Amino acid sequence: MQMNPILFKLAWRETVRSAYWGKSLATNIGLGFLALYFSASFLLLGFAIPEILTKDFPDADPVSKFNSILLAYFGIDLIIRQLMQKLPTVSFKPLLLQNIRRRKIANYLMIRSVFNFFNLLPFFLLLPVTFTLVSNAHSGLATAAWFLAIFILIFSNHFLAIYLKWRFNEAEYGFFIFLAALAGLFAINHFGIVDLSGGLGKLLDLILVNPALAVVFLLLPVLFYFLNVRFLLSRMFVNLVSGKQKAEQVRDYSWLDKLGETGRFIALELRLIWRNKRPRSVAMMTLIMLAYGLLIYRTEPGKPAPEFIFILGGIVIVGMFSISYGQFFPAWHSNYFSMLMCQRLKMKQFLQSFYMLVTVVSVACYFLTLPYAFMHSKIIYTHLAMLFYNLGINIPLLLFIGLYSKKRLDLNQSSVMNYQGMGASQWLVGFPMFLIPIGLFYLFKLVFGDIGAYASLGVLGLTGILFHSVVIDFFAKKYLKQKHQLIKNYKNS
Amino acid sequence: MIQIQNLIKAYNKEIVLNIPELTINQGEIFGLVGNNGAGKTTLFNLILDLITASKGEIISKGIPVRESEDWKDFTGAYIDETFLIGYLTAEEYFGFIAGLRKLNKAETNAFLEKFTDFFNGEITGKKKFIRDFSKGNQKKVGIVAALMGKPEIVVLDEPFANLDPSSQYKLRKLIKDFAAENGTTFLISDHTLDNIADVSTRLIILEKGKIVRDVPKTETTLQEIEAFFKPVVEAEVF
Repeated sequence: MQMNPILFKLAWRETVRSAYWGKSLATNIGLGFLALYFSASFLLLGFAIPEILTKDFPDADPVSKFNSILLAYFGIDLIIRQLMQKLPTVSFKPLLLQNIRRRKIANYLMIRSVFNFFNLLPFFLLLPVTFTLVSNAHSGLATAAWFLAIFILIFSNHFLAIYLKWRFNEAEYGFFIFLAALAGLFAINHFGIVDLSGGLGKLLDLILVNPALAVVFLLLPVLFYFLNVRFLLSRMFVNLVSGKQKAEQVRDYSWLDKLGETGRFIALELRLIWRNKRPRSVAMMTLIMLAYGLLIYRTEPGKPAPEFIFILGGIVIVGMFSISYGQFFPAWHSNYFSMLMCQRLKMKQFLQSFYMLVTVVSVACYFLTLPYAFMHSKIIYTHLAMLFYNLGINIPLLLFIGLYSKKRLDLNQSSVMNYQGMGASQWLVGFPMFLIPIGLFYLFKLVFGDIGAYASLGVLGLTGILFHSVVIDFFAKKYLKQKHQLIKNYKNS
Repeated sequence: MIQIQNLIKAYNKEIVLNIPELTINQGEIFGLVGNNGAGKTTLFNLILDLITASKGEIISKGIPVRESEDWKDFTGAYIDETFLIGYLTAEEYFGFIAGLRKLNKAETNAFLEKFTDFFNGEITGKKKFIRDFSKGNQKKVGIVAALMGKPEIVVLDEPFANLDPSSQYKLRKLIKDFAAENGTTFLISDHTLDNIADVSTRLIILEKGKIVRDVPKTETTLQEIEAFFKPVVEAEVF
């Protein structure tokens, strides 16, 4: 497969000359830390695995035990890749007319996709396991074959993940079918109907005995690779790039017009959320986060949950929508911001409709999360206090941050691991949102005790809510002053 | 009436627009021609207060646009596709703008009725979002939205570009009729000389940020502008 250096040069320029390069240093540093953290964790785990296995399963052969749990790893890996791994892209439109074969572009994309952190990460775990566990028990040749087999599996997973992601990109519901299928497989395995993970384990055990078998594994990545290439070749036409030509499902929101000026803007925001991928995934995240309480509110008998958990839970579960949607306000409207600024529209209404929408969703989330009271009855009032705090204090904070929003948002991309439109200010947003109330809580607790502290946070928020029209007036003036800067920022990004 | 005084726009000390004095009268169809980078869009953006001037001011019907927002009450504009909301259908977009311009449903429908011919059956009644429209149809949506609510001043940046030939003729007539009916002041820019020469009542040539010609439209207008641009064109070709 001869690669075209021109394509690599093009990709390089595309990265280096993109508007974010260098500008979003904070994002890169954040990602760098994340990568380092995961690499270190995997490395430590890799060295710890032999000991864990011999301690927890003293009767089993540690190598075949390791083999038998690998399938679970690949399953989780596949999900994580779906959420986080980026698809390789190239703006191929200008290339189509050039003397480059379509197949060459497809091959290039596939090869470029291999250079990805998610393909490097497993080796931090695999290498220590290979040298401290497997090579001690087996011959050099067997170890090498075993390593090769897993190496191949990692890349099969990579190509499979990419193929699925391309498919899900076209049909979003595919992701949920995929999750359901994985859950089904997990159930089949878990209840011992078919021992899938044991099957893979046995296969890998067999390779240790009969190294030549590793070659069979090669079929998998080859198959997935060609699935990908076939898919790409079928999609590399201009008409498929510029959007589907099917009739759209058009939902009617005109009843909201009856609510007057604000209603009209809320209708716009609802259409924005419903019809664009990225805000839609924010809404999705809000729904998923409702279940976050099952994770953080779970306590072991006899051990009460620390108080900050309730503050964190209150902010994140009840306020997920306001924070994740609010952190990109007003950039959601960045694509047509200059048009809005030419209209007979009062900045106040614009801000107010955002405030209304967030309030309605947050209140709904409060009621939806009330069942957590079965776990801890005090959630009834801790969530209420945090609901007030969120609306009264955090929303004005987000409006303030929005004044300095820098990047235009591409509405059609999904938000998980999508850093388009991520500026340094957005990275800093999350922390004060829940760190400040946690700090305040412990401060108030010194004076008023537990319940008094929740009440104080609630009262603080309530004050903010009562004065919300003053706050909005204040920000309306600020936003008007800032409008030229915002227009300029959105144009240049 | 729009008055422009000592207007200078500079980026990093490079002056892109410099208009010492210009008055656009009520009811004029003011045509702006110039090569790329002449400053046409910059001037329109300044009039709409989308960018700030380095110096000088623009007064629209007695209202300094930098200081008050009241000019929005009588101004409609279409600059480029960033004036459209891509995830709406054309009807929804018109409805949204109509709401901002205080038109009720019946008025909106009556207004849109007049553009049936211009829309050519491709704009309304389609279950299609604006982002999936062709460039020409997007432009039609933007132009008609700019005319909603009978604004006294309408700013259109290159309205003829991307339109098919018959739509260009329809648009010429549409602008002239709209102005005659409502006494609207139009500010229009374009590259294509005969469109702009046809609709305008006054023509201005911008060259590197400066006004180099300012002529009322007469029989000889077209030849005059052609004469201005021709040597430039030939010099570029050969």
